[in-house]
Amino acid sequence: MARKMIRVLLVEDEEINRVVARAALKAAGGGDVVDEAENGEVAVQRVRDAAAPYDLVLMDKQMPVMDGHEATRRIRGMGVTTPIVAVSSDGLPADVDAFITAGADDFTSKVRACAQRRDSHACNGMGMPSHILCPRRSWESSLPNLDLLNDVYICVLLN
Amino acid sequence: MDYSNLRRQAASMKKSLFDQGYLDEQFCQVEDLQDEASPNFVEEVVTLFFKDSGRLMSNIEQALEKYPRDFNRWDTYMQQLKGSCSSIGASRMKNECMSFRDSCGQGNVEGCMRSFQKVKREHAVLRQKLESYFQLLRQAGPAGAATRPVM
Repeated sequence: MARKMIRVLLVEDEEINRVVARAALKAAGGGDVVDEAENGEVAVQRVRDAAAPYDLVLMDKQMPVMDGHEATRRIRGMGVTTPIVAVSSDGLPADVDAFITAGADDFTSKVRACAQRRDSHACNGMGMPSHILCPRRSWESSLPNLDLLNDVYICVLLN
Repeated sequence: MDYSNLRRQAASMKKSLFDQGYLDEQFCQVEDLQDEASPNFVEEVVTLFFKDSGRLMSNIEQALEKYPRDFNRWDTYMQQLKGSCSSIGASRMKNECMSFRDSCGQGNVEGCMRSFQKVKREHAVLRQKLESYFQLLRQAGPAGAATRPVM
């Protein structure tokens, strides 16, 4: 059975990072919809104006106009509960904490989306690989559109 | 033409790039994203990287000149470059970016200048090596797509 499609908002100002992240998400299969925003302000607009809620937001930190922390704060301020995963090559504790305080669900230093058979990895009880559990919030329960019983899934791998 | 020999040379060149620390695992991740639908994805991403990084380095160079001791500004620009380096696994460049940022954190102008020169050198060397690598891959033909090096 094919995995359900999910809607992802990729927030990143550098084109090369968008290209790689987009390809990684595409490689995960499922024909996911990937919208892009080149800064935090555009991201907030996309979230506000979206016809259907996003299933996942991948948020860069440093961006012109509005950075990732502020965009995360504003998205949460709108009452949006979509999982937000901060993506930044800076993995300093202060950066991670700042994002979590702003309302992000988790932090990763890079996005590697992979399409793999579920049985090739150790999984937690929900069918998600144990290494992508978020210790800060159980955001995986906010992904209603991901059918965790399917053979193929997206994993946002945490370092 | 001996295509298998060219492929071996390409594989050896790539292994050397990893062994000498120019590239890291992230480059393999980018290669894994190449498929029949995007057969030149890696080279396209690398080309984009050098275009982007050239622009970012030019911004840094101007900032070093026009905004003396503006460590916050210098750091912001260098963080962008570091992020780009991370995307393709340009490991040695990334490390020099980090050195620069450390110097910014210490308010060390000389350290910043030294590190930036190293960033530029690593950029030039990596560009030359990757150009040679892709040239060899093109000569080796479609089956010349490299395999992961044994690390």
